[in-house]
Amino acid sequence: MDTSTEKADRAASNEKNKSTNGKPIVELRGVTKVFWRGKEELRVLDGINLEIDEGSFEALMGPSGSGKSTLLNLIAGLDRVSSGTARVANRDLTTLGDSDLAKFRAQTVGFIFQAYNLMPVLTARENVELPLLLTKLSGAERKKRALTALRVVGLEDRTEHYPRQLSGGQEQRVAIARAIVNDPTIIVADEPTGDLDRKSADDILNLLERLNRDFKKTILMVTHDPAAAERATVQRRLDKGVLV
Amino acid sequence: MTIVGIGIRNVWRNKTRALLTVLGGSVAIIAFVLLRTVLWAWNIGVEYAAKDRLATRHRVSMIMPLPKRYVEIVRETPGITQTTWANWFGGKDPKHPDEFFATMAVDPDTFFDVYTEMSIPPDQKAAWRADRRGAIVGDVLARKLGVKPGDKYTLQGTIFPGDWEFTIDGIYLATAKSVDRSQFIFHWSLLNETLPERQRDLVGWIISRTDNPSRSADLSASIDKVFDEKDVQTTTMSERAMNNSFMAMFSAILTALDFVSIIILLIMMLILGNTIAMGVRERTREYGVLRALGFSPGHVRTFVMGEALTVSVLAGVVGVGLAYPIVQLGMGRWIEENLGGFFPYFRMSPGTAAVGVLLSIALGTVSAIIPAIQASKLTIVDSLRRVG
Repeated sequence: MDTSTEKADRAASNEKNKSTNGKPIVELRGVTKVFWRGKEELRVLDGINLEIDEGSFEALMGPSGSGKSTLLNLIAGLDRVSSGTARVANRDLTTLGDSDLAKFRAQTVGFIFQAYNLMPVLTARENVELPLLLTKLSGAERKKRALTALRVVGLEDRTEHYPRQLSGGQEQRVAIARAIVNDPTIIVADEPTGDLDRKSADDILNLLERLNRDFKKTILMVTHDPAAAERATVQRRLDKGVLV
Repeated sequence: MTIVGIGIRNVWRNKTRALLTVLGGSVAIIAFVLLRTVLWAWNIGVEYAAKDRLATRHRVSMIMPLPKRYVEIVRETPGITQTTWANWFGGKDPKHPDEFFATMAVDPDTFFDVYTEMSIPPDQKAAWRADRRGAIVGDVLARKLGVKPGDKYTLQGTIFPGDWEFTIDGIYLATAKSVDRSQFIFHWSLLNETLPERQRDLVGWIISRTDNPSRSADLSASIDKVFDEKDVQTTTMSERAMNNSFMAMFSAILTALDFVSIIILLIMMLILGNTIAMGVRERTREYGVLRALGFSPGHVRTFVMGEALTVSVLAGVVGVGLAYPIVQLGMGRWIEENLGGFFPYFRMSPGTAAVGVLLSIALGTVSAIIPAIQASKLTIVDSLRRVG
C-alpha cells in the first residue's frame, strides 16, 4: 500500500510531467513494467505518467537501473507495458499486435543506440538504406534518400565506407542517418554519446539539436552525461522506476 | 540490396569458417555422389537391358547347364526371331590372375545377331567365324591386355583347366551403356570338343530375341511350359528381369550403400546446422537491431535462411564440380577397365549431379530451420542486450 506521502509525491510528479502546450506526442498513463527473475518480481517502472510534446527535445537522466532504457524501449515499441497505457503518435501501443508494432517502429520511430549497431557487411549508404527495404520504394529511390540522409549528417564523402573504416563519431552519424531516413515522428536515443570522446559527442549533440530545431523532430534521449542533458530543452529524472 | 543478399554477405564475415564449412559440405557431397554413381552404375544393366531379349536358364540355378538340343526347341517357338547360347568359361590372364574379366564360349554364327549392341567390323567377324581358335575381345579389355587383331593370347582356364591359346581376330565396340566392354569370347565348339563325352553338348544359358517385347512374359511362360515335362526344367525371363534377379543377390550391399549415403547426408546437415547456429548466436544483437528498425520475425528467418542457402548451394556446386572430374577422368575409367563385368559404364549421370546439388540445398534449408526459428523468437530487448 502506498503511504499518503508517496501518493502526494507521485501526484506532484505527474503534474510536473504533463505536456506544456497541450499537444503531446507521447502519453503514458500509469505505466508499469515488471520483470521476473525466477519467482522474484522486479518492478522496473512503477506507475509512470508522462506527456512529451511534439517537437520537443527531452533528456531522461537517472542512475543505472533506474528504468531509463526500459522506458525508452516502451515508448519506441520495442517492449510492452505490464500495465497502464502507452500512446505514441496517436497509436495506442498496448493494443497493437506484433506485426502492427513492427510497422509502427518502421514508420514512426527512429532509434539511435549507444553502440551504433551498424551492420558490418554493409557500407554506410547501405546501412542507412536498411529501413527503406521495408518500403515499396525502388532501389534508385532508396539510394537517393539514403544519400540525402548522409548529407544531413555530414557524411556525403563516406557513403561507400564500411563501418570498420569509420571513426566512432562517424559511425554514430551513420546510425543517426539510418534513424532519420524514414522521416520518423519521434527519435529515441539511448546513450548516443556514451561511447564517444567529448569532441565527437558534441558533434552528435549538435546534430540532434539541428534535427530538433530545423527538421522539427521530437527527440527523447537517455543519458548519463549532464553536459549532454543540458542540450535538451526538457530534462527529466527517473529514480527507482519513478519519474521525480 | 535485398534481405537475402545481406544474408549471403553475412556468410563471408568469417571467411575461414565459411570456407571450411563449404569444404566439409563438398566432401560429403562428393562421397554421396560417388556412392550414388556406384548404385546407378550397378543398376544400369537393368535400366538399359534390351526389352526384346529373353534368357533361358536351368530352373534350379544359373550355374547348372541345359542340354544344347533345347536351343533348337526355343528357336522354333512362335514369336522368337533369333537365338544363341553361351557357356561361362572362367578364364584368367595368367600374368594377372587376380584381375577379373568375363570369358565365354559362344556360338559365332548367331551371337552378334542377338547382341546387336556389340559392334564389330564385318571383316573381323568373318575372320573369327572361320577361325576355330579365334577370339573377340572388347575394346577396353584389348587396351588393358595390350592386344590387337592378329595377336596370340593364352587364357588360363579355371573351370576348364589348362592353357587355352587363341588368336585375337577382332575387337568389338559398344553402342549401348549396358555392354561390358571387357568380355573375351571364343567358339563354343572348341570348348565342347575338348570336354569329356558326358559333359558335351551342354550350354550355360540360351538367349533369344522376340518379335514383340510386350509379349515377353507370355513367351517366357510358353517356353518354360515346353520343358516342364522334360528331364531338365527351365526358367525364362526377360533380360531385364534376369538382371534384376542378379541384382537381388547383392541387395544387402546395395541397401548398405544406401544407408551409408544417408548417414553422409546427415553428417553434412549437422555441419551446416552447427555453422548456421554459430552465426545466429554471433548475430543475435544485429537481429535485435533489425527488429528495432521494423523488420519482422519473418525477415529475421529470411536472413538466416539466406546464409544457409548460400553455404549449401556452394557446398553442392563445389562438391559436384569436384566429383565430376574424379568420376569421369579418373575413377570411372579405371573401374570400367578393371571391373567392367560389374560396372560396364561407370560415369556420373546428370541425374546424380542434380540430386547432389538439390539435396545439398534441401539439407542446408532443413538444418537452418531451428536456428532461424530461435533467432526470430528472441525478444528485441533480449537480443539487444546480447553481446556478440
